[in-house]
Amino acid sequence: MRSVALAGSEPGCGLRPAARQSWLAAGLGLGLALALLWSGLAWAGRPTTVRLLMPAPFADATAELVESFNREHRGLRIAVTRGPLETESVSDLAISSLLLGDSPYDLLLMDVTWTAKYAAAGWLLPLNDWLGPDPLAPLAAGARVGNVIDGNLWRVPMLADMGLLYWRTDLMAAPPRTPAELVAISERLQRQGKVRWGYVWQGRQYEGLSCVFLEMLRGFGGRWDNNGDGLNTPAATAAAAWLRQLIVKGISPAAVANFAEPEALQSFEAGEAAFMRNWPYAWQELQGPSSRVAGKVGVTMMVAEVGEPPAATQGSWGLSVLAGSRHPAEAVQVLQALTGEASQRRLVQRWGYSPTLTALFDDPALVAERPLLPILQNALESVALRPLNPGYAQLSDILQRQLSSVITGELEPALAMERAERGSQLLLEASGRGPEQ
Amino acid sequence: MSSSPLRQRPALLRISMVALLLLWSLAPMLWQLYTSLRTPESLLAGLAGLGGGWTLANYSAVLQADPPFGVYLLNSSVVGALSTLLTLALAIPCAYALSRRSDLLKLVIGGGLLAAAVFPYVLLFLALLQVARQLGLANNLLALCLPYAGLSLPLAVLLLQAAFADLPVELEENALLEGFSLGQRLRWILLPLIGPAVASTGLLVFLFSWNEFPIALTWLSRSELLTLAPAMARIAGSSVFTVPHGAFAAATVLGGVPLLALLLIFQRQILAGLTQGAIKG
Amino acid sequence: MSLLLMAPALLLLLAVFLWPMLDYAWLSLQAQTVFTGLKPVPVGLANWERLLGDGRFWQDAAQTLRFAVVSVGLELLLGLAIALLLHQSWRGRSLVRSLSLLPWALPTTVMALGWRWILNDPNGPINGVLQSLGLPSLPFLASTQLAWLAVVLADTWKTTPFVALLLLAGMQMIPADLYEAFALEGGRPWQGLLRITLPLLRPYVFIALIFRLAQALGVFDLVAVLTGGGPASSTETLALYAYLNAMRFLDFGYSATVMLGMFVLLLASALLLVLAQQRWRGARP
Repeated sequence: MRSVALAGSEPGCGLRPAARQSWLAAGLGLGLALALLWSGLAWAGRPTTVRLLMPAPFADATAELVESFNREHRGLRIAVTRGPLETESVSDLAISSLLLGDSPYDLLLMDVTWTAKYAAAGWLLPLNDWLGPDPLAPLAAGARVGNVIDGNLWRVPMLADMGLLYWRTDLMAAPPRTPAELVAISERLQRQGKVRWGYVWQGRQYEGLSCVFLEMLRGFGGRWDNNGDGLNTPAATAAAAWLRQLIVKGISPAAVANFAEPEALQSFEAGEAAFMRNWPYAWQELQGPSSRVAGKVGVTMMVAEVGEPPAATQGSWGLSVLAGSRHPAEAVQVLQALTGEASQRRLVQRWGYSPTLTALFDDPALVAERPLLPILQNALESVALRPLNPGYAQLSDILQRQLSSVITGELEPALAMERAERGSQLLLEASGRGPEQ
Repeated sequence: MSSSPLRQRPALLRISMVALLLLWSLAPMLWQLYTSLRTPESLLAGLAGLGGGWTLANYSAVLQADPPFGVYLLNSSVVGALSTLLTLALAIPCAYALSRRSDLLKLVIGGGLLAAAVFPYVLLFLALLQVARQLGLANNLLALCLPYAGLSLPLAVLLLQAAFADLPVELEENALLEGFSLGQRLRWILLPLIGPAVASTGLLVFLFSWNEFPIALTWLSRSELLTLAPAMARIAGSSVFTVPHGAFAAATVLGGVPLLALLLIFQRQILAGLTQGAIKG
Repeated sequence: MSLLLMAPALLLLLAVFLWPMLDYAWLSLQAQTVFTGLKPVPVGLANWERLLGDGRFWQDAAQTLRFAVVSVGLELLLGLAIALLLHQSWRGRSLVRSLSLLPWALPTTVMALGWRWILNDPNGPINGVLQSLGLPSLPFLASTQLAWLAVVLADTWKTTPFVALLLLAGMQMIPADLYEAFALEGGRPWQGLLRITLPLLRPYVFIALIFRLAQALGVFDLVAVLTGGGPASSTETLALYAYLNAMRFLDFGYSATVMLGMFVLLLASALLLVLAQQRWRGARP
């Protein structure tokens, strides 16, 4: 570069009389040389780009963090691809690239239920050797699970999410602790005409239904283990039957069979129901100007039979490094920055997300700002994990289908649960993980 | 055809039927055009505020997106044009040879072509995806022309074969006597005569390749290589809190206009190709 | 010589059409999933056993069939009406014919995206009209009862011109003097439609039916963009399910099985159709 600059500026160094022309030439030469030098420097110092695919809402929430990261790091740049809004579509987009063998991304923000599938497909980089000893130690216990499979760490959680029971503080002194109490309080309030419905939840045939069911399954003392077993049990039948009874007794509207989160929230927000099952995001919505229950809402754990600990289905988002990344070291650096304390603090303060780090739950200043944190921390201590199985999406689909038939009254709970278990077994057998293994 | 018995129907009824037909066919497209020219606020305000709220911002947003919308149109044009050429290059000799046979083999091939032409080709995507993975044909617009040509061949061969069969045999026999080789006969005598059929077949193949979705969806993953159809699907999936209806509509207008123009310019050839396909097929 | 001319085309055809089916037949006996590290492992008939008990496959089969029968039926009726209208002679006919063909030329994914906005609840134009009439707005794409009708509507809109065109071509093959003779004998126009047009149009109706049914049973683009198969997979079709099995669940063996299952159902319906056509022919010689 330098030699070019000297050669270019040479005419200007001469002291010949035809000064005008040579000065012009000198100016041009200098300009050219500077331009070349600048672009050369820019080329040499071109930052490594770490590409990150996230669902659109998280891309928005982290935009500010990414921007300040890029300002502070000269040689490293994060480029975020705003994925689709819908969770599964983000995964579809990533898979379509990964299947063809050259992934355009280094990092992926992953839902907890994808981890097993991606790890089994060989698409993720094990993080054990990159993050030092016990990188999950600073996390709340409930956020630690779901990241390590077969001894390898595949994912570091950034945000937590858990199923909660919302209740009306103006209608009762204390929230119910057992399924029977929830039913009794609902029926009393409905009789008194205080509310139209007792309890609204997510009954549509989709992933949310599996989450609702898992909490009740645990509440009745059951388990849905990583092999998809545990559905053909008395506890599972009791949980399914209880959900059906809610509709039969008129505690939940029949339309709950087509409710996802927004419909449940809408009904509860309008003051129609005494209880709602939802995720932490609903809290902020319920305090908004369009809410008729602002200031009258309490949050607690889902009900459970006496002697059974209440459970909250764990949903969380975490970062994974893709095995095909050409800059794994830089990708890990970005992963650490975005899942780190400063980053999570900002996401909690600005967007009301639930953190995963114990230090943040214990920070009095943050708790003063976000009073929900202790409840979230409590819920995070008793989370229920959906099966860590590479075929989870299909297992869940089989369950949802049978549960949907129970809720709409087409099938007896016991029979439906038997079919769900049988379907799960057939699936695993056909997938190459039969009972013989 | 002018002596249809329905001619005596009252003109008023016919006018209203025609109006209804045009409304049914055009209203959805016109609504998209209208939406694409409106600001987001004016869309939510309903038809009350027609005085204001007009904008071209939706178009500039779509055209300046990353990658710009023009890239998809260009990719689709390249794939469409190359697939058409490849299909014709393979189909013309095959159709000629087929038209000159009258044996069992012709029946078998003809039947196979007919079955393939009706076959819902979406069923083939998985095997074709594996081909792309194993042969490294993914994310390559040129390679995409191979399956497109293969999928277009059945209809193309059937149409062209019918056109060749319509030509009088004497024409070719005379040329043969004059010492024309096979290539010369095709080039100078037969092809000019079936020119219209070639044009209409080519247009149908181009339309297919331009619009094709499942194969493009699985063979292309890099956003700057997407053709129009998977790009539309990706745009559809990327809506955030507020769905940018205006920008979506601008994308549908931009994605639709080239084909509408093509159809209006070449409507005669396309109609001929379609109806010929129906009669011969 | 003629074989040599045909060879390149035939080879490509075999590679694109025949090879995949053979590949599926083999793949359906394998587990090629995340459990096997995406490598094929023989599992016998396990995939087929799973298919028979898979509620989602049968639900999708029923939904696909419902969609195909309803939308092709509508397309034939509407297409016949449009063809009759375009078959008459009036000023501006060829312009109207071209304009009414426009929906057919648009890429499916383009207009599928358009329909999402047209059917939007509550801001789309259809709900706008409903509301201005004092009716409640309808959640077309969010309701399990309405969403499949939305798919039918979008498909009918797009493919009716194609059907109309085929039928129009058929009508133009019918000699005009048949009608004249019929009119001389005192037949009324609508009787002419029943006695002459429809019987002579039969082969064209059959062609349209075969073409459209095969396409409708394989519907993918429209559903993938308009509803994504939802809500609660109420609009999911077999093609979409096969696609999801491969691309979402990474279950290639089962995806191939689903596609073969779909192929068998297709063959069966084609056979039924041909039989029906022959009975129809036999009934009215």
